[in-house]
Amino acid sequence: MSVSDYILPILFVMLFLYCLYKRVNTYDTFVKGAKGAIKLVVDIFPFIASILIAVALLRVSGITDFLAQLLSPIFNALGIPTELCELVLLRPFTGSGSYGILENIFTTYGPDSYISRCACVIMGCSETIFYVATVYISQTKVQKLFYAIPVALICSLVGTILACLVCKIM
Amino acid sequence: MNIFWFVMMFLSILILLITNPSAVLSEMIGASADALSLCIELCAVYAVWLGIMEMVEASGLGEKLAKLLRPLIKKIFKVDDGETQKIIALNVSANMLGLGNAATPMGIRAMQKLDDGSGKANFAMIMLIVINATSIQLLPTTVIGLRASAGSQNPADIIIPTLLVTFCTTVLGILLVHTIHKIIHKKARAKK
Repeated sequence: MSVSDYILPILFVMLFLYCLYKRVNTYDTFVKGAKGAIKLVVDIFPFIASILIAVALLRVSGITDFLAQLLSPIFNALGIPTELCELVLLRPFTGSGSYGILENIFTTYGPDSYISRCACVIMGCSETIFYVATVYISQTKVQKLFYAIPVALICSLVGTILACLVCKIM
Repeated sequence: MNIFWFVMMFLSILILLITNPSAVLSEMIGASADALSLCIELCAVYAVWLGIMEMVEASGLGEKLAKLLRPLIKKIFKVDDGETQKIIALNVSANMLGLGNAATPMGIRAMQKLDDGSGKANFAMIMLIVINATSIQLLPTTVIGLRASAGSQNPADIIIPTLLVTFCTTVLGILLVHTIHKIIHKKARAKK
């Protein structure tokens, strides 16, 4: 058990106490909120499916491996080890996929190695950008995101470089 | 997104046509099935978090949290509407706790509130996406959990490096969006 295991339960206890104090009908309220879940998921399913299909084809066609090899000299020059290329490339597209790669890195290099620690920090400072962007705007009329995705990608890349640096020191 | 998706799909299918044509359809259906099971899992997660969030809002805690973060949100997002500020506050707080899945429903609602129907993303929408992508992580819960189960001696020792790096990327993201917005604004005015 670590300290972080206690945080959410403690927050929940505080929330229930506060609801009691404010005389909120917790059951009715919870049901009202939970009702929205199925509709939300039905609405975003096609967006999730189309992204996962594209990512699956990219992987099985060997394009991601090829890109990882092609880009590894550039990544190396920026201080990013070759072992992390696949993670860095796939992270913007798939959450479950990148967690799979992370677990792979843990078993291959050991969870306390430099590579693994870098990978952890990279997971924290990057996000499944394409997924988040499509899902977030899926229920609006927006077609053009302009510079949102390039800026997010640049920040993630800077974060990745920083992560590799910081993990060397700390 | 349209061009992007087209390129990804077209190139992959073209290569597979030569190397492994029988994999194309089975991979697509497999990925779609993955999406379906992910959605079922997400539905369970969303039901819990949407229920909790409804309690947070009904009890007035959401309003309090928003009040706390309001000056910051007003400055960063340039949003004046109280209701929208509240939803953004909930989205950002969930993200800080590493609860990406709890943040998503709030993010979708915030986007709907911010949508002006023009078909183009406005400043606040772009900012919300960038902030979500770079989000400061106070507690990377999922990663620590995975690392602990992989047998790490000290799974929590990535908290400080993560905090440090995400703080830098978030500041960078906010600055970049503000700068680009200013440049575009200036150009638009110069044209007039």
